[in-house]
Amino acid sequence: MTQLIAPTAIIDDAHLVERPAEPAANVFSSRPVRALLSLIGGLAIWEFVARAIVHNSAFLAAPSAVAVRGWQMILDGSLLYNGWVSLQELLIGFVLGVVCGIAIGAAMVQWRGVNDALELWIAALYAAPIVALAPVLIIWFGIGTASKVAVVFIMVIFPIIINTQAGLESVDRRLLLVARSFCSNRWQTFTTISLPAAAPFIVAGMRQAVGKGLIGVVVGELFGAKAGLGNVITSASSVFDMPTLFVAVVTLAVAGVTMTAALRVFEVRLSSWRDVA
Amino acid sequence: MAVAAPPAPTDRRIAKLELIDVRVEYRGRAQSETLALDKTSLRIEAGEFVCIVGPSGCGKTTLLHCLDGLKQPTGGRMLLDGREITAPGPDRAMVFQSASLLPWRTVLRNVTYGLELQGVPLREATTRARAMIELVGLAGFEGRHPGELSGGMQQRVNLARALVIDPEVILLDEPFAALDAQTRETMQTELLRVWDATKKTAIFITHQISEAVYLADRVIVMSPRPGRVKAIVPVDIPRPRPASARRDPNMFAIEAQIGALMERDEARA
Repeated sequence: MTQLIAPTAIIDDAHLVERPAEPAANVFSSRPVRALLSLIGGLAIWEFVARAIVHNSAFLAAPSAVAVRGWQMILDGSLLYNGWVSLQELLIGFVLGVVCGIAIGAAMVQWRGVNDALELWIAALYAAPIVALAPVLIIWFGIGTASKVAVVFIMVIFPIIINTQAGLESVDRRLLLVARSFCSNRWQTFTTISLPAAAPFIVAGMRQAVGKGLIGVVVGELFGAKAGLGNVITSASSVFDMPTLFVAVVTLAVAGVTMTAALRVFEVRLSSWRDVA
Repeated sequence: MAVAAPPAPTDRRIAKLELIDVRVEYRGRAQSETLALDKTSLRIEAGEFVCIVGPSGCGKTTLLHCLDGLKQPTGGRMLLDGREITAPGPDRAMVFQSASLLPWRTVLRNVTYGLELQGVPLREATTRARAMIELVGLAGFEGRHPGELSGGMQQRVNLARALVIDPEVILLDEPFAALDAQTRETMQTELLRVWDATKKTAIFITHQISEAVYLADRVIVMSPRPGRVKAIVPVDIPRPRPASARRDPNMFAIEAQIGALMERDEARA
């Protein structure tokens, strides 16, 4: 199973926090300053292309126009409303996906039979562009919240299952022996040894899953929704309202980056004992 | 001094630990069966410190795992206070070869681990763990994680984790094998001090003869695979044994005797 490499690789870069300190020659050598410059530079090029080359606001909106539209949408409440609808769908689907993913992954490691029954299906669905099932789920669950929750759920659950499995299989066997020697029952061994050992893997899986979940929300809403950022994108594009479309896209990007970063912090804290080991 | 055969089971008194004709086979692939331990009989009295020495692969660790209940022997009987050993129990505690501490738990929480599994309330567990951490000389390190400790300190935690559950028998599986010579000697002296304070029956496995002789009341010499009790050598050197007891000529004599017993095996192997 080649995909097992991915979660390990994600965890491993936790060790790379110690970079050789670069000589602080000037302000421009610091990483935050460079990131800011990159951001400003990118926006400047975008602005230039939109104003000087494209000239057509139905084709490409300049960042300044997007910012103005964004501010209007905050004031009239439409951004918050649609953002909240999407966020709700994402959170419910994500939490359900994580809980079920951990349970299924753990069951597969714990019981050979469960593993043999599910392994093939999970490997196939993990590799498949599962978002293609979104239209089917819209038909089954309607255009309300439930269908989007379902799309997020199927996007999130597979990376969680795969990473839970990889984490539980990486548990030091000697620690399992310690638990047994101290008369631990199966459940105690799971909660005191297996789960803490697998936790960094599971959080790494959650980090992958956030991005997938966001795709799920948007694609789900594109196929049929009454509200949400995906719905904003569909209705804006149908009337060539590029500024509004870009407001929705930028909001989604910011949400994705924020959630991934939050999970990264959580992951580093969870595996802090690894750094000293 | 060496008693070639295990003592005849004429003594009707119940020993702390009694092994009768214990036999352990490993079933490998196909028909290959390895006999790890055969015809092993032993009596160990309460409060005794027994060391088991033997070449690698003579089934020492297997024997200890059987006593802990982690492994079931294929044949024979193992009795603790006259009761058959079938599973791990709170009356026995193991000090593992690699410290095998839970890396995400602090020293304190590693020591309370066994008590938590037994359902001892956390406050009581913490009090008992603190006392034990102090006994093994790690006061002040309660909040550290295992990764921040040296090998010797990790083994102190390992020892505290086993002793804190207040077992009747403590099983030590080459706990100092990975330590450098100096730390190893310090830890041996420390172990005797802690053992004196707790008066547990101790079974200590090692392949280092001098370690066995310094620690033990009796040294059990095992033969190479299949492991059998080859000789039981009493060490009648008075306790307490300070670090200087290592240079006791009687100790050298016993070491030489055990060395000779083991060399013959090596020549054959």
